[in-house]
Amino acid sequence: MASATAASAGSLRASRYETDTARAAVAGVVLIVAAWLLFFVIDPGTVQNWLGYAQRSDARVPAFFVRFVLLLAVIVSAFMLVTSTGYYKRNRIRLAPWMFVSIGLIFFAIYVILPIFQSFSYSFTRWDGLRDINGVWTGEWVGFQNYQRLLEDPNFYTSLWNNLLWLVLYMLAVPVGLGIALFLNQTVTGIRIYKSLFFFPFVISQVVVGLIFTWAYNPEFGLVGEIWGWFFCEETTNILGNPTTVCSVDPPNILGDPNVATYGIIAAGLWPQIAYCMILYLTGLNNVSPDQIEAGRLDGARGWKMLRHVILPQLAPATFLAVVVTVIGALRSFDMIATMTQGGPFGSTNVLAYYMYDQAVGEGVGRYGYGSAIAVVLFAIMLVYISYFLWRMWQDEREAR
Amino acid sequence: MKSILKGAAFGVLATTMMAGAASANELVITFDDLNPAPKAAFEAAVEAFRAANPDIEVTANNGDREAHKNTIRSALQNDAPDVITWYPGNRMAPFVDAGLFMDISDLWSSDPNLSANFEAIKPTMSRDGKQWGVPYSYYQWGVYYRKDIFDKLGLSEPTTWDEMLAACDVMKENGVTPFTIGTKFLWTAAGVFDYLNLRTNGYEVHNALTAGEIKYTDDRIRATFANWETMLERCSFVDNHATMSWQEALAPFANGDAAMYVMGNFAVAGMKDAGLTDEQIDFFQFPEITPGLPRAEEAPADAFFIPANATNVENAKKFLAFVASPEVQSEWNKAIGQLPPNSAAAINEDDKFIVEGMQTLSTASGLAQFYDRDAPAAMAQAGMEGFQRFMLDPSTLDEVLTELDRVQGEVY
Repeated sequence: MASATAASAGSLRASRYETDTARAAVAGVVLIVAAWLLFFVIDPGTVQNWLGYAQRSDARVPAFFVRFVLLLAVIVSAFMLVTSTGYYKRNRIRLAPWMFVSIGLIFFAIYVILPIFQSFSYSFTRWDGLRDINGVWTGEWVGFQNYQRLLEDPNFYTSLWNNLLWLVLYMLAVPVGLGIALFLNQTVTGIRIYKSLFFFPFVISQVVVGLIFTWAYNPEFGLVGEIWGWFFCEETTNILGNPTTVCSVDPPNILGDPNVATYGIIAAGLWPQIAYCMILYLTGLNNVSPDQIEAGRLDGARGWKMLRHVILPQLAPATFLAVVVTVIGALRSFDMIATMTQGGPFGSTNVLAYYMYDQAVGEGVGRYGYGSAIAVVLFAIMLVYISYFLWRMWQDEREAR
Repeated sequence: MKSILKGAAFGVLATTMMAGAASANELVITFDDLNPAPKAAFEAAVEAFRAANPDIEVTANNGDREAHKNTIRSALQNDAPDVITWYPGNRMAPFVDAGLFMDISDLWSSDPNLSANFEAIKPTMSRDGKQWGVPYSYYQWGVYYRKDIFDKLGLSEPTTWDEMLAACDVMKENGVTPFTIGTKFLWTAAGVFDYLNLRTNGYEVHNALTAGEIKYTDDRIRATFANWETMLERCSFVDNHATMSWQEALAPFANGDAAMYVMGNFAVAGMKDAGLTDEQIDFFQFPEITPGLPRAEEAPADAFFIPANATNVENAKKFLAFVASPEVQSEWNKAIGQLPPNSAAAINEDDKFIVEGMQTLSTASGLAQFYDRDAPAAMAQAGMEGFQRFMLDPSTLDEVLTELDRVQGEVY
């Protein structure tokens, strides 16, 4: 009796590490059928015929649903196939995490990694973004021509310079955010209200921030024009007797002046970015150890010394994060420019990201090859930062171990 | 989420109703104007087409004009409708060259109305000797002005360059800014450039320039810019034009701070919305600069095309022939305050701008599409940025022209 139990337990344990052939076979068949349906059979056209829709576009949503179900079937059956192998069962601890991230990795590869390489290859072509009705690509291979042209293009240098301005000036968000965080880090009645008011600009959309500042900068009816009017303008009537304003000195047209427009946009961008840095520091300040402050006090540290030697070192993780998000924010300053100036006047507020869009997609210009070359340059610049951050994080991880 | 649920419902339905053949007689039209008057005119035309062809099941889609400029690319390559709106001239060239528009020369030759009544606009619709679309509307450009201000200052419509400059002097002495303009979206500056160039050098030079055959540093183009500089000095434009759209630039015009506007006829609707009446505003042709030069005008057209991917080609051709008919052209353009490209179509005799526009265009020696439609898009973008830069600071002229030559060398 006892030996029988031991034997069955032994066989159970053994089977846990063997390939479950029946399960693998079922999963394999499901995988092949679902993948075949997904990639070779189902498209909006078949679904349209199948459901009897008048329009191909009407079949889009059902086709999406059918494809989604098939994709799930492919993923689940693939997982079942893998998990039923003896190899997987023996190495479960090591492989399970990879199974979990595999879906994410696959999508990351398709939607992020692959397009990067596509951009690289398009940057060596002259292409207007069109394929003919047979899906045949209509571009031509031109080697390094796009890059040579970039070097001669004054707009490219303007964009590069503006990118640099953004990177440098946007960094102001970090110290200002720290300042506000220190100021707000106290217990007064209603402090939560003040904190949320300061945090407010980060919550609203960048597009809205852009619009608010565009109106504020308006030299005629905006805040700037209004304040200017108190000092330099007077109300009169024009030739038809309608009220009009005459100014002894013209009000500054911030977004219309190529020399200052970029600074105007950066100032608008700083508003939400400061709020972001502030909230990062506020959470950081919550974790500052009171013991160390106490100890610092006993040693006679106050004011600047306390901040520099006791508090800031403890805020290092928050500072790192604030710098990272600010650099990323500066490099993707696209939406602010798109809402406020569209790169104008005459391209003077372009940054690489916007210039790329402008050349490839904007207004049907359709220089996809040229736009891709700009994208590659932008990618190369970002790569410097990305590598640095990854290296930093890897170092931290190693130290933590 | 909602669409997924909807999809799920369809998916369940799918298992129960497997059959059901698609009805074959359909027509899908994609239009690109949501402004009230054009939208209503399009819908009225579609209704009339439905009434005339009860057996055809018509689906009419309408979307935002600026968005259409991007979505048309994927529409033509993937799920093409049967009829789609786009611009003729060079703007249709990329799609024609990629084989995404259908050659409809057979319709132009077989339909008696199309072959007889569209002679003036046929070259615009042609590329490689074939016709690719049917225009439904076009409109004149010129100078719209405040008649009440002109009357008050004792000015009359200038017909020559010197008369216009003299009129500008009088306006400035009386505290009126001669011209309003909003160059934020750039193309308005191209309208001024086109007219100066057409009046300084004529139609052939306009075409040669936009076709990339002459350089921007050419002496003839320099002469155009010299005239522009004179215009900037003596006939100044409103300040801050670089941050205004063309609609925002209507404000100083409506208030009487500025007296003239180089614009297309669609602006009249905006002027009337701003409270101006027919007594207060009027139109004159852009004055002559080089004496004796044949007068050419800007007259951009809007047209319908058949994508090469269209499924119901016969119905699409039926619709294009219908849109080309004098009655439809007449009704449509009365509703939107523009001109019918069909020479047999009646115009709205009660609208003085339409009457004057018809007179202007029918006596013109040549019709230009517009700088950003005649030139390839990449050239037009750079060109218009250059125009804006020049307007803000005329001293940058040499830099601007050299830069445009460089872009020209790359684009063509």
